[in-house]
Amino acid sequence: MKLSDFHSTTWPENRDGFTTHLLITMKKIILFLTVLCFVVVSCTKEKTDYEAEIDTEVTEHHEFKEVYAINSDGYKISIEALNGTFYKGYNEIRLKITGSQTGAEADATAVTFLPIMSNANGDRTSCPHRYDLVYRQDESYFSGYSVFTDESGAERTWELYISFTIAGQTHTVKQNISVSEQTNQNLNMTTFTGKDEQQYFIALVSPQKPKVGENELVAGIYRYNRPTNPPSGDFPDASQFSYTEVSGFTLQLDPRMPEPSMGNHSSPNNKDLTQQNDGLYHGVVNYTMTGNWTLNFILLNQQGQILKGTVVSTDFTPGVVGVKSELHIDILF
Amino acid sequence: MKKTSIAFLALFLGITANAQHTHKQEQSDSTKTLEEVTITAIAKRKIETEMKMAVSVDEFLASSDNISFIKRGAYAWEPLLNNMSTERSTITIDGMHVFGACTDKMDPVTSYVESNNLSTIDITSGQEGNMHGATVAGSIDLKRKSTPFGLEKKWNGAYQTGFETNNKQFFNLGNLSYSSDKFVADGSIAFRKAGNYYDGNNNVVNHSQFNKFNTSLGLAYKTGELSSIRVDAIYDKAKDVGFPALPMDLWLSRAIITSASYKQLFEDGLLRVWDSKVYFNAVEHYMDDTKRPENLVHMDMPGWSTTYGLVSKANLKHGEYSSEIQLNVYDNLSIAEMTMYPQDRSKKTMFAYSWPWVTTRFAGLSMNNSWDMSDMSRVNFGGSLGWNYNRSKYVEFNWIFHPGTPQEKNRILPGLHASYELHINQFDFSVGTGYGHRAPSVSEGYGYYIYNSFDRYDYIGNPDLKNEISYEANASAGYKNKRMGIEAKINYFRIENYIVGRILSLGSPMNYQSVGVKGYTSLNHAKLFNMALNANYDILTHLHWKGTVTYARATDDKGGNLPFIRPLSYQTSLYYMHRQFGIRTSANGDFAQENYSPEYGEDLTSAYMVWNLSADYTFSFKNYKAVLQVGAENLFNEHYSTYADWGNIPRMGRNVFTSLKFNF
Repeated sequence: MKLSDFHSTTWPENRDGFTTHLLITMKKIILFLTVLCFVVVSCTKEKTDYEAEIDTEVTEHHEFKEVYAINSDGYKISIEALNGTFYKGYNEIRLKITGSQTGAEADATAVTFLPIMSNANGDRTSCPHRYDLVYRQDESYFSGYSVFTDESGAERTWELYISFTIAGQTHTVKQNISVSEQTNQNLNMTTFTGKDEQQYFIALVSPQKPKVGENELVAGIYRYNRPTNPPSGDFPDASQFSYTEVSGFTLQLDPRMPEPSMGNHSSPNNKDLTQQNDGLYHGVVNYTMTGNWTLNFILLNQQGQILKGTVVSTDFTPGVVGVKSELHIDILF
Repeated sequence: MKKTSIAFLALFLGITANAQHTHKQEQSDSTKTLEEVTITAIAKRKIETEMKMAVSVDEFLASSDNISFIKRGAYAWEPLLNNMSTERSTITIDGMHVFGACTDKMDPVTSYVESNNLSTIDITSGQEGNMHGATVAGSIDLKRKSTPFGLEKKWNGAYQTGFETNNKQFFNLGNLSYSSDKFVADGSIAFRKAGNYYDGNNNVVNHSQFNKFNTSLGLAYKTGELSSIRVDAIYDKAKDVGFPALPMDLWLSRAIITSASYKQLFEDGLLRVWDSKVYFNAVEHYMDDTKRPENLVHMDMPGWSTTYGLVSKANLKHGEYSSEIQLNVYDNLSIAEMTMYPQDRSKKTMFAYSWPWVTTRFAGLSMNNSWDMSDMSRVNFGGSLGWNYNRSKYVEFNWIFHPGTPQEKNRILPGLHASYELHINQFDFSVGTGYGHRAPSVSEGYGYYIYNSFDRYDYIGNPDLKNEISYEANASAGYKNKRMGIEAKINYFRIENYIVGRILSLGSPMNYQSVGVKGYTSLNHAKLFNMALNANYDILTHLHWKGTVTYARATDDKGGNLPFIRPLSYQTSLYYMHRQFGIRTSANGDFAQENYSPEYGEDLTSAYMVWNLSADYTFSFKNYKAVLQVGAENLFNEHYSTYADWGNIPRMGRNVFTSLKFNF
């Protein structure tokens, strides 16, 4: 290249005027470009608000509120549950007994809790529950749970039978309750008869609001103890409505997305559920994405024998509905 | 080797500036010094190939002997430098980093520019390319057009139109520039529209259409005798682009690429040029699979990529020593989503991020030095040191396959290179070596269920991947006289922790066409060898011959073949030019790909050869100069696909093209 290539020798007379004019034009162009930038930078498609989306799919309840307050024999029995509502499935229950007048905590012992469901034929059954409530010293309440197996309705009514002893005197109260539908599928439950002809219940306890990634999966597993004696005494006879938290079982887990479009998609690094000190079964479920998931289970007893559940295909089958285990719970988040 | 000399092209402006300053006086010392700068080896090339004057950026790059392409259709080819994919090279526009927004690499940076807003493309092989940031394969820098100040002819422009019969591509490219001694403006606009192309058996290749619009504007103002500011913007929009090799197409992609720069020249002293630029670019890319009847399920895959950055470069010169120092800083946010629907669009079945809001920050200082030891020999040496930071906002997606991996990751990326050049009479020799690290790309580190339709696996990134470490050696020898030239180049890379996808036994596929899950893992090492032989010979005064042969071989640590390695290939061309007429013919082809890699979904690709022919006529009327060109690519309608054609999609059959270009 030579210098002369870039050498300007002649200039128009009105060069400065022309340059000024150009500068004004340039400013206009820059302004136009700036506006263009903003127009262009705004995206054509909105990004998914991922955090908000999970919130709308799943409502999480943290707060224990009073569901019922019963005044009886000068005592107030306050029953609390999450969101002040009993739902179908697992419900943690907190019970407080205070003097109706004083409002002070009563020195109650031997607090029992028994839910009874009556159907149109007058048959009465119960559901997995803790009969002898446990006193929590630090929180000053009696702790229990109840796994309601159905919602209240025209065909079904639920009642609670509570008894407690204060100063050597036993008090009993009865309360009609309402059990609502559990809209959060992550707290679904299932009930089935195992190969040992026993009736079992599996209820999801946590997570209420799963997240993409690793989630600790907690479930309660219960068995109905068939009564060995005919009913005796006043109704209800607790021995007729007895349930146990099974111990030493294993709940094998295989989570999959059953929708045909998801082709039986699964996730890695899941852990089967085993019993921990709280009596509940803990494991790990990984959700690779939001959507419909099926938790496929196989329930093994202490001896490792299958009580219920089938092994599901691990094949990727796009366009086909994923075949579920005969023991499963569907969730959505 | 070649890079240092290019730095002096940056002095264009300086020469101009000085020219105006001194046009009535004797030339100043510095001007004299600059005048003595000779461009010893220009890696830059004008944007047109010998065959065709109206080429796309992809076609132009394809004519370079160390670039090959992965092709998924007729549009947006992924350039491979030294047979290595785009993660291993830095691709920049005037030093600006731009990152595509498509997880499937269907929008390489080269797809967001157009041939009429570029002046040249700098291709630098290996560690010498680390001026723009850490690299393994080298760098591709797309140089924008930039008209000098104070041209004698104030207004310059060109308009080009053409038609290609095979895919009914119709294009219009226009550019205009204004140059005064204080102010310069460059503008360009381009439209391309093409239908489906036909293969060598005259069968239509469905979903191979494309539409592209590109415009650019650059304004420069001289703020002082030796300084100027410049603002630039490129806007690119591609719509309804088909990818025959994929189960989906592009609905829309848009990019805005902007920058503002300040350049200061110095008349004397060690520091000669200081050029700094801040930039911003944003890319959005939306795939569409609803046009394919075979898809029973639809997935929306939008992607966004936003980058802010700074490039600051200084050129130093003292006697026989010259140096270039560059600071690169950028911040990129890459987001890609997957939402799946059955036929009924209101029933969403899943949502996940394929790029879970991944931030990449890079800051690095690079230096390149050149010392002319004598008239015959020169030493080049340099290095770079970079800091690379990644953060995944929704790290839970990464935790699925890599439980507990940190959300943030810092890496230090060093790079070094040295070479020696020797010129003895008509012979040129060079030897060089290099060492450098690169960080995993966003997909390699943080990708999540990215479907690769070549091997039909879903790919999962691994945030804990080690840096890829490259050890490199290269050499060249050439001979040149007035009638002929011949040059041989070889390079060899040993890359430790070479990143590839390996089948994961624990994963379950998710994408509809997928057969399994692969995770990015590091091989112990991989070896790549590239060789190119170029020769030219002037048979007669007006008859010229040129030929190139390239060969590459790449293996993993167990001696297995790596994918996408070009087999033995050749290009040969003959052109005759006399007065206003030019006629060219060329042939190019690959031998059979014997060393294919079944593990990565490759099969044996047979040999092919393609003949091309074109003729042009140059004429002037009034103040216009015009060139008319007519030609045919794949003259004999060969039915073929290459080793890098995704899904063995056949390439275009016979394509008769015509174009007309006016310059004024």
